[in-house]
Amino acid sequence: MNETPSPTAKALPASIVLATGALGLGYGLNGSWSIVIVIAALGVLWLVGQWLGWGWTASVELVCFVIIAAVGLGMRPGDGWMLAGAVGALSAWDLHHFAQRLRGSGQVEGTRALERRHFQRLLVVDSTGLLLGAVALGARTELGFGIALLLGVLAVLGLTRATRFLRQQSD
Amino acid sequence: MRRLLLLVMLVYVLFLWGLGTLNGALLALAVPLIVWVGAALVWGSEKPKLRVSRTLGTNRAPKGTPVAVKLSVANEGPLLEEVLVEDMLPRGIELVAGESRALASLGPGETVDLEYTVAGKQRGVFAFRGVEATTGDYLGLFPRRASLPASAQLTVAPETLKLRRLAIHPLRTRATAGPIPARRGGSGVDFFGIREYQPGDPLRWVNWRVSARHPRTLYTNEFEQERIADVGLILDARRRTDIRLNGNALFENAVRATASLAETFLGDGNRVGLLVYGGFLDWTFPGYGKVQRERILQALAKAETGDSLVFDSLDYIPTRFFPAKSQLVLISALCPDDPPMLIRLRAHGYQLMVVSPDPISFEARLLKPDEAVDLAVRIARLERAMLLRQLRRAGIQVVDWQVDKPFDQAIHTSLSRAAHWFRTIGVAP
Repeated sequence: MNETPSPTAKALPASIVLATGALGLGYGLNGSWSIVIVIAALGVLWLVGQWLGWGWTASVELVCFVIIAAVGLGMRPGDGWMLAGAVGALSAWDLHHFAQRLRGSGQVEGTRALERRHFQRLLVVDSTGLLLGAVALGARTELGFGIALLLGVLAVLGLTRATRFLRQQSD
Repeated sequence: MRRLLLLVMLVYVLFLWGLGTLNGALLALAVPLIVWVGAALVWGSEKPKLRVSRTLGTNRAPKGTPVAVKLSVANEGPLLEEVLVEDMLPRGIELVAGESRALASLGPGETVDLEYTVAGKQRGVFAFRGVEATTGDYLGLFPRRASLPASAQLTVAPETLKLRRLAIHPLRTRATAGPIPARRGGSGVDFFGIREYQPGDPLRWVNWRVSARHPRTLYTNEFEQERIADVGLILDARRRTDIRLNGNALFENAVRATASLAETFLGDGNRVGLLVYGGFLDWTFPGYGKVQRERILQALAKAETGDSLVFDSLDYIPTRFFPAKSQLVLISALCPDDPPMLIRLRAHGYQLMVVSPDPISFEARLLKPDEAVDLAVRIARLERAMLLRQLRRAGIQVVDWQVDKPFDQAIHTSLSRAAHWFRTIGVAP
């Protein structure tokens, strides 16, 4: 296995531990210890997968962590921890792919600079996501069924069009 | 792009789940994911404007010889946060040292240089087409791929052996002095005959013994002139004369032999042309020296066996390509129906040499020995011996080359005087 440059190698397990810890804490505060064990097992699997260079673990673990966070969102006082867990999982998923890109690229020009800029961007995105997510969690608005449906349809259509546009741009 | 799809799918699931259960918190959980997609969109890269230049250490190298490749990729557009440059190596070329991929962040006007070494795994003409550049944002969600032209050509020439001088005796030679006996009296080394003394003849050429018997006349010795000659190499590239077993091809041996012969004949100063006779005719016009050597090696590098209804037999060898009464060398494993055409060439006055890589020993070596195989090999050997004898009787020089032996050894053994004497008394050398 190739050696990952050190800042990414440190930040990746830290993110996994952060995500696992946040979700575990959220469920732990509500006494759901069996789910805490499942989360811990998933965290360990992610760390092992990352250590052994399994490419598939990151995406599978992200989906699992987001679903676990979504399930746990109804529990108070664990809402904030769920959001933090999801953002942590997102960061770990990104760092996993970034480390893969660095490893699989042969010659890397200015590794430290690339890593530094990546971490800066990641910090901005994570902070913004966490902040806006927290605001959205705290906001309380009464919406009728019709408006909710309309919003849902708009969101789905908007995202579909945006994705198609971006895919065309990439091609 | 798969990563983007995963994020979008997660957002969809959270949205539908939240709307279905009327749980606003699920929509809130989708917010960080949407922020990610939005950030990647905002920081997404423009269409890259890159210029690539490529330098090869050499344009021609023998098989397995390392060739240095330098690739310089310059950014002529705005900042590219992450750009992965990958040189697409042609099939048949392998990376020996260094890296053909590089990841970098390129500011406007900045360059990334790649230096690596490749080697040809097989003979051929290989075209480096271009460089694949993948640019993306730091989050890696929207990669853009672009193929950048950076063409170059590397010829992996067949190996050549240094052969000792080959004794050929074409009926007609060229006017320039060379190493080939010209069947004509004049100045030279080997005794050719005696003629009457002519004013201007050096006195040391006077044959005093003969002159003593003819008191009123002086006689001088004549020596055989030595000239260069026209040599036409014909490489038989008909698919039916080739044998491929376990990744080995008999044709490769024929190509190597042709390259060695071309090098030797050109090294002696002769005018050499090459005809690759197979799926089509690939004709290298006769010429002299190093430039011609390069042309012939280039033609041999890309020589392939082929099928053609027209060129299935040797009957359509275009004799007009070769000067009358010149030396022809056919490199062929030979087919049973080939001798009539070869005998006809001989009858037209061409001095013909056939270098024949032995297909029977080549194939037998790679087959599992058993009784049936042994019997088949014996019969095939008898047929081949008959075929070669037929050619020799027509005055064609034949080199029966068992390809597990070095070519120089095989050709010099076959063409030596001792071998000729053994054949004359009916014993195989």
